[in-house]
Amino acid sequence: MDAIVLGAWVATGLTLLIFSFLYKDNPLFKLAEHLYVGVSVGYVIVKTYDTVIVHLVVKPIVENGEIALLIPVAIGMLMLTRYVPKAAWMSRYAFAFIVGMGAGLAIPRTVSSFILKQVEDTIRPLLSMAGSDGVTFSMNLLNPASHLNAIIILIGVSSVLFYFFFSIEHSGVGKAVARTGILFLMISFGAGFGYTVMARMSLLIGRLTDLIEFSDASYGRPTVWLSLLTVGALFLLARRGREQPPDIH
Amino acid sequence: MTLSERMLKIDRRIIFLMIGLCTLLPLLYPVGLPIKISSEVRGVYDHIESMPEGSVFLLSIDFDPASKPELYPQAIALLRHAFKKNLRVITMTLWVSGTGMADQLVTQVAKETGKENGTDYTFLGWSPGGQAVIINMGQDLYSAYPSDYRGKSTKELPILEGVRSLKDVGYMVSLGAGRPGVEEWYVFGKDKYKFEMGGGCTGVMAPGLYPLLRSGQINGLIGGLRGAAEYENLIGQKGKAVAGMDAQSATHLAIIALVIMCNLFYFSLRQQRDG
Repeated sequence: MDAIVLGAWVATGLTLLIFSFLYKDNPLFKLAEHLYVGVSVGYVIVKTYDTVIVHLVVKPIVENGEIALLIPVAIGMLMLTRYVPKAAWMSRYAFAFIVGMGAGLAIPRTVSSFILKQVEDTIRPLLSMAGSDGVTFSMNLLNPASHLNAIIILIGVSSVLFYFFFSIEHSGVGKAVARTGILFLMISFGAGFGYTVMARMSLLIGRLTDLIEFSDASYGRPTVWLSLLTVGALFLLARRGREQPPDIH
Repeated sequence: MTLSERMLKIDRRIIFLMIGLCTLLPLLYPVGLPIKISSEVRGVYDHIESMPEGSVFLLSIDFDPASKPELYPQAIALLRHAFKKNLRVITMTLWVSGTGMADQLVTQVAKETGKENGTDYTFLGWSPGGQAVIINMGQDLYSAYPSDYRGKSTKELPILEGVRSLKDVGYMVSLGAGRPGVEEWYVFGKDKYKFEMGGGCTGVMAPGLYPLLRSGQINGLIGGLRGAAEYENLIGQKGKAVAGMDAQSATHLAIIALVIMCNLFYFSLRQQRDG
């Protein structure tokens, strides 16, 4: 059997087994779920071993004599001491190295990229002086750089920050500002949910596109045969479930 | 039991079936609804279009098969565009679980466009470290990737002639499904080594990346399958993303209708109880 055809049968079968969960939780779904986890972990382990241990550690040391690589190897090996209770304290040096290096790399760059740059973008001129036109104010909502959008962002950022300021009671004017903050948060959650729906539907479209493609005679119509098989198996499982009532203890 | 009560307790499998049919029917019988090009997708396209022949284009395929339906069409469209413009294409991945898929993707598009590995493009593969790999590439690309995915020494690849670090990259696009992805490439790459950058992401991630786009930290963003469809339209090669757009619109309409109906039944039930 051709590898592509075999791949089509495997992909179709596993897709249908996963989709069977939409009817109800069943052993076929569990089988596919466990296969997915096992194959993913196995793949990652093999790839990591081949890339890191073989190509980045063993080969450079043995073939090129890059002895300095033994230092990161030693630090990495310290991590494994966690499995030996008496020597577990040694792993702290490795963790300290990783945490220290990670924090040192991340903190300045993150502050620069996500705090300073974003604050800079939030504080924009609300009006501009453009040559002989004098003071101008652009109202275009579709242009992210328009003055109207700068005001909306200013109101949004201030009100949301105020909503999370709990040191004073949200009453009177404060209540109105906090409510405005909630409104902006709701719009943000709505946009996020809309995009999430779109993403999930895209995944469904991807699987259905493949199922349609694999219903072709050139693949041996796995979609048709395996759909029938899955429905038949679900029917049998449901019948068996009815005959054997679950234990109630 | 009133109609509202019955509808609010409807078997969820009926809703699954409705959504399934709304997706399946447009895929079988496409209508060809128009696709409007957004400015964020055009930003990436225009930049690649403006690059002179032989410029270095770096594509980081930072996703695995779990996000394939959304990001694979984006990667295909970007690669087709870059190869059409005769750019020097360097590809890589920061996701170990996406290595095989990325290799297959790059090889497939290169074969289709008649490009040669090592001369017109290269796939560097995966290197451990995430953000550390980006910093390492910014200092010395050959130290981050001593060899490409096929084991050839990167120093001997004709495509990398004159490319020593990320500073020599003309344009970079990260197609990310999470971390490390677009944000890491901006923080540890563009912000530090000053190259122009665009992004592509799954639909779930897009709202979180819009602040980077608005502030000019990235010059374009391809969001989800919809973004891929726009890019396919821009390069004039319609693929799986465009084919999926009718289904996407139909399911969105079905979900909007379900949300409205659910609210109507909920308020009607509340009114009945209050009355």
